[in-house]
Amino acid sequence: MSAAIRLATRHERDGGQPLSVAVLEKSRQAGSHALSGAVLDTSGLDELLPDWKTRGAPVETQVRHDETYYLTERLRFPIPAFLTPFNNRGAYVISLNKFVRWLSEQAESAGVDIFTGFAGTEVLYEGDRVVGVRTGDRGLDKRGERKGTFEPGVDIKARVTVFADGVRGNLTKTLISKLGLEGPAPQTYALGIKELWEVPADRVTAGTVMHTMGYPLRTEEFGGGFVYALPEGRLAVGFVVGLGYRDPLFDPHMAFQRFKQHPLVSSLLAGGEMVRYGAKALPEGGWYAMPRCQADGALIVGDAAGFLNSMRLKGIHLAMKSGIYAADAAFEAVRAGDVSAAVLSKFEKLVSAGSVRRELYPVRNVHQAFETGLFAGLAFTGLSMLTGGAVPRGRIKSGSDHERLVELRQYHSTRSVDPAEASDAVKPDRKLTFDKLTNVHYSGTRHDEDQPVHLLVQDTDVCRTTCREQYGNPCVRFCPASVYEMVDDGTETGSRLQINASNCVHCKTCDIIDPFQIIDWVPPEGGGGPEYEGM
Amino acid sequence: MKIAVCVKQVVTRDWPLRIDDAATWVQDRDASFEMNEPDAYALEEALRLKEEHGGEVVVCSAGPVRVAQVIREALARGADRGIRVESDALAAADAGMVAEALAAAVRSEGFDLVLTGLQSDDQGFAQTGVVLAELLGIPHASIIMEVQVADGSLRVKRELEGGWFQWVSMPTPALLTIQSGINQLRYATLKGIMAAKKKDVRVVNPSPDLSPHHEILDLYVPEKEKETRLIDGSPTEAANELVRLLREEARVI
Repeated sequence: MSAAIRLATRHERDGGQPLSVAVLEKSRQAGSHALSGAVLDTSGLDELLPDWKTRGAPVETQVRHDETYYLTERLRFPIPAFLTPFNNRGAYVISLNKFVRWLSEQAESAGVDIFTGFAGTEVLYEGDRVVGVRTGDRGLDKRGERKGTFEPGVDIKARVTVFADGVRGNLTKTLISKLGLEGPAPQTYALGIKELWEVPADRVTAGTVMHTMGYPLRTEEFGGGFVYALPEGRLAVGFVVGLGYRDPLFDPHMAFQRFKQHPLVSSLLAGGEMVRYGAKALPEGGWYAMPRCQADGALIVGDAAGFLNSMRLKGIHLAMKSGIYAADAAFEAVRAGDVSAAVLSKFEKLVSAGSVRRELYPVRNVHQAFETGLFAGLAFTGLSMLTGGAVPRGRIKSGSDHERLVELRQYHSTRSVDPAEASDAVKPDRKLTFDKLTNVHYSGTRHDEDQPVHLLVQDTDVCRTTCREQYGNPCVRFCPASVYEMVDDGTETGSRLQINASNCVHCKTCDIIDPFQIIDWVPPEGGGGPEYEGM
Repeated sequence: MKIAVCVKQVVTRDWPLRIDDAATWVQDRDASFEMNEPDAYALEEALRLKEEHGGEVVVCSAGPVRVAQVIREALARGADRGIRVESDALAAADAGMVAEALAAAVRSEGFDLVLTGLQSDDQGFAQTGVVLAELLGIPHASIIMEVQVADGSLRVKRELEGGWFQWVSMPTPALLTIQSGINQLRYATLKGIMAAKKKDVRVVNPSPDLSPHHEILDLYVPEKEKETRLIDGSPTEAANELVRLLREEARVI
């Protein structure tokens, strides 16, 4: 959206031949699939639309104070502000959904065409040059046959295609592998789960921002919780877990339930009501995990490229800046009549010359350091902060998330465990804690049931045999929306994989963490998915 | 054939509903809205009639500014132009008030056919179309399953109770309230969305004299009187326990 607005602004300012800018969005409305905490650093917005205040941006709740805690099961220990990287002074607590919708209105009034309900399913090439994308067919039934309403996908050709398909974007994924754009390190991810609550308005001052470390995670797991206070007693409550966890019985959704049960959080939520739910992966690999972002005719921006500062837990402003720089590079390339990777590499120069690199390079190793555990990670982060990122030099080596999951028998070698019990550890009371299916209902997720399954599992035999044996079918736990279910099929092996595709909240976790890497997330029919209104 | 389709914007069907502080309506802050389902079928029927017989489809909606979205959606699917009656007072108004507002806005257009959905997903009175027909002084038929047009008159199939249907002949102009599911809804195409931007939408302010004909006194969630009990144990144990409960507690076997 930022790239589109910037392109329209550049065109208005610099003139020249007409410029046609289109945005494809798979959700039913702009912003419906946008999910974040969210605390907004306005530096990207200031650069994009300096007059955002008079334009009525839904950016109103300034952060009043930051609180950071280290949690044990019952207790909390405040961490002094100078020891934390979360200085949110000047930032705002926002609803990303509302913010993106507002951006889309700005883009439309600047002449950008926004096509919602259209998923990009294929990258179009001429040789190795990207020439556009193909949208998905609509009106296919479960078996892939055409229904009466069938509407074929459309090829949309463009001189420059900017890929902003989000974390683990389905188009970016194929683009990176076809053109060999991988960065020096593999991308690593986290899963964020969030609920929006309404509590008595006087309970927490709007603009209060809390972050936690520790419980319910063990020191080997990376992540933490957050509570952000919006006006009128609305609280954004969430939990982020690194997807490089080792225990195959770990369940991120369960960790979130435990987090809510901690006295710090449960006292805030008591008597309140959960009104929305959502989950989304986030790219945490940082500087070295970013791919090369330009190819002939193409640029990659935002979460798709990994523009996120995992130490400050912020990515919106970086995503916006990457959009702005991509627009500048694309605009100049189109005007010069040369959209080759060499010319589009202006993008990389803009990123490296400015605030984006200044912010991301010093924290380049933070996420990787936490792979060795919480305390090593903290010590590292401290060192890194004190020295402004100078120590250690270079980069720490790291692996992909899916390689880190340890086999059941190896991880739980000392005791025999029943995988079914692990996902049953907290009995949801449906007031404070919820089961996944109830939560999915609150995500507003909807798909046409009569369409091909959009989670392509290459070999479901693995599920009933090898995976069950080695990992106890972790998909039923890592998926925060109960898409994957092992159901009894009466055979000797006992169970088969059932994919409840219409529950999918498009978080991409399965595509990322599946230890066999046989799950491929492709977009369902355009318009399907969650509805993160107000999130 | 000049066709008007009246569509309503309602809160999305599976939205977790909560009652507002005054307990007279649902909280629609941050709610997600969509086109009322039967109205979507009415629109589709209008588009098909136009494709078959020529003419024009005009989409009309009454409500706050947000209803512009359903009008745009209808234009993207193929309606030719729109009429939007704008008033916050119409957000959750009764059928009579909405019909009056719509009637004033469409009366001068001289439509051959006016289509509405059978009823709205939110209030479900199934009255807006009927009252609108009365106000426009034209005949109406409700719960329509099929529409045939020949020589300026209509033959329509009505759904009755118990799997019975009825064919009715009627002159034009007329108003029909359309049952859900009578056709297959089309998708908005990229071309349709582009074209929708250039289509005309007339914004009408309703008369300030409009007033509600009824008042919602109280809205509440039905109290749960039923109890669900889960029986634990192996299938055999659970079955035995179920039989015992049915026999001893429920006393039905």
